[in-house]
Amino acid sequence: MTLQKLRIGLVCPYGWDTPGGVQNHVRDLAEYLIEKGHYVSVLAPVIDEEAIPDYVTSAGKPISIPYNGAVARVLFGPIAFARVRQWITNGKFDLLHLHEPAIPSISLLACWAAEGPLVGTFHAAAKRQKAIFAIGPILEPVIEKLTARIAVSEAARSTLTEHLETDAVVVPNGIYADRYRDGEVRDGWSGNTLGFIGRFEEPRKGLSVLLDALPIISRFAPDVRVLVAGPGDSKEVQDQIDPQLLHRFEFLGRISEKEKADFLSSVALYIAPNTGGESFGIILAEALAGGAAVVASDIPAFQSLLGNGEYGTLFESENPQDLAKVVIELLRDQERRRVLAQRGKAYAQRFDWEVVAEDIFSIYEMALVGSKGVTLSSENRAWNRFLGREGN
Amino acid sequence: MEKYFLIALFVIFALWYLSYSATRLDRLHHRVETSWANLDGLLQRRAAVALEIAKSDLADPASSLLLTAAAHQARDAQMQSRSQAESGLSGALGLLLNDGHLVDGVIEKDLLRELSELTDKIRVAMALHVDAVTRTQMVREKPVFKIFRLAGTAPLPVTYEFEADVL
Repeated sequence: MTLQKLRIGLVCPYGWDTPGGVQNHVRDLAEYLIEKGHYVSVLAPVIDEEAIPDYVTSAGKPISIPYNGAVARVLFGPIAFARVRQWITNGKFDLLHLHEPAIPSISLLACWAAEGPLVGTFHAAAKRQKAIFAIGPILEPVIEKLTARIAVSEAARSTLTEHLETDAVVVPNGIYADRYRDGEVRDGWSGNTLGFIGRFEEPRKGLSVLLDALPIISRFAPDVRVLVAGPGDSKEVQDQIDPQLLHRFEFLGRISEKEKADFLSSVALYIAPNTGGESFGIILAEALAGGAAVVASDIPAFQSLLGNGEYGTLFESENPQDLAKVVIELLRDQERRRVLAQRGKAYAQRFDWEVVAEDIFSIYEMALVGSKGVTLSSENRAWNRFLGREGN
Repeated sequence: MEKYFLIALFVIFALWYLSYSATRLDRLHHRVETSWANLDGLLQRRAAVALEIAKSDLADPASSLLLTAAAHQARDAQMQSRSQAESGLSGALGLLLNDGHLVDGVIEKDLLRELSELTDKIRVAMALHVDAVTRTQMVREKPVFKIFRLAGTAPLPVTYEFEADVL
């Protein structure tokens, strides 16, 4: 990175204190940039204002709306807009980096309110949605203000091309690869074990596909066990499991980063049976960096992340038979597992923040060419004056 | 009375919309210019690095000649023939770098590293510029912009046809 120190404003559209891929990405990027000596301020909706780090500014309490098969905690409205404008004025930023500016939340508001070097990152990959086409004409001129667009995956990029007819540069999500490099093998987690990490209650994470495949797998590999890590109520899931198979399961609850590294080094196979709604698959990048042999469903995001099966084995999504077949083959062939894991680990280094942040930063540099920093949008000022006069 | 009020409101809205659209287009033109300035600068730097490489031990006399010619052509080209000249330079660099001979010497390694960094940047800069140009062309095609001549006298930006795969 260059010596030039910047004032960077990051906008996170989703509630800061709820777990999620975008939030993690913004947090990691902010902390990385701060460590490199830049001034960073993050604007995000926040539920508990007591428990936020220094660099986060609250834009207000988020509102829950259903979006893309999950509940999204977003924020909009006149008060939020006023806070966004105030944040932009006070921040005197060189550059704003807006995450998910096509979602009705504060990133979109910031994009509307600001002028200057704006970089937008698009995370979501979704099928064609009528709703987006309906608001397209309104979104279009706003999204157009972005100096540079980043998509986190090819899937996100094609979503963008389809919905908003604009292209983007692909920069993947980042992971701290060195955190997963030196996991220790734990006896309790090794052997013929299948690992699963994630919010298992959500249907799109696909734990049920693994449950359906397990009877077949256990017939061929009698000592197979399934380790499930992640937040959630395991009671409900346990009720769905055949009592005869229940002893094969172990629910670990939420695990720490260190435990995650050990987990990934220990399990025989890491299984990602997600059925969709995934744009990048950060957990797969982490699993690869942790040295796990990966089996994943063939949804587009995973296909492209795993290089069409080169760095992890793919099975047909939502097909338990195919999953069982792939898992049995790999459990029987330790050498193939070892080779797969080794190749995957080397490949995963390209998702390390050192590489990813460098790419993002060089896009910042391009967006900064010939600019004088971020200001409030001028047409907006005229419009507000007009509204103010009407109000009197 | 109410009718006039509504008409006035409509006129004001229409005026605002026109000014809003004009700002929008102005911003796009600005983006085309800055992204071009950026791309142009990077390409100039690449031509300079190519000349350095031609002078260095990396190149045999024949490829040195080829590279020097291509680099000068890329530097002197007019806007219309620019992309062709740059593609020519990409081709010449590709020929030299892909023949797989080993590189030793600190200066040579430095040159090659600089070239590959520049190439990465050029790829991004090109994507940004092409996006700005297509966007502007698209917007200028819209009826509101045509009827009210919101583009004024600004020339229609030309697409930069760069053969990205050569890089």
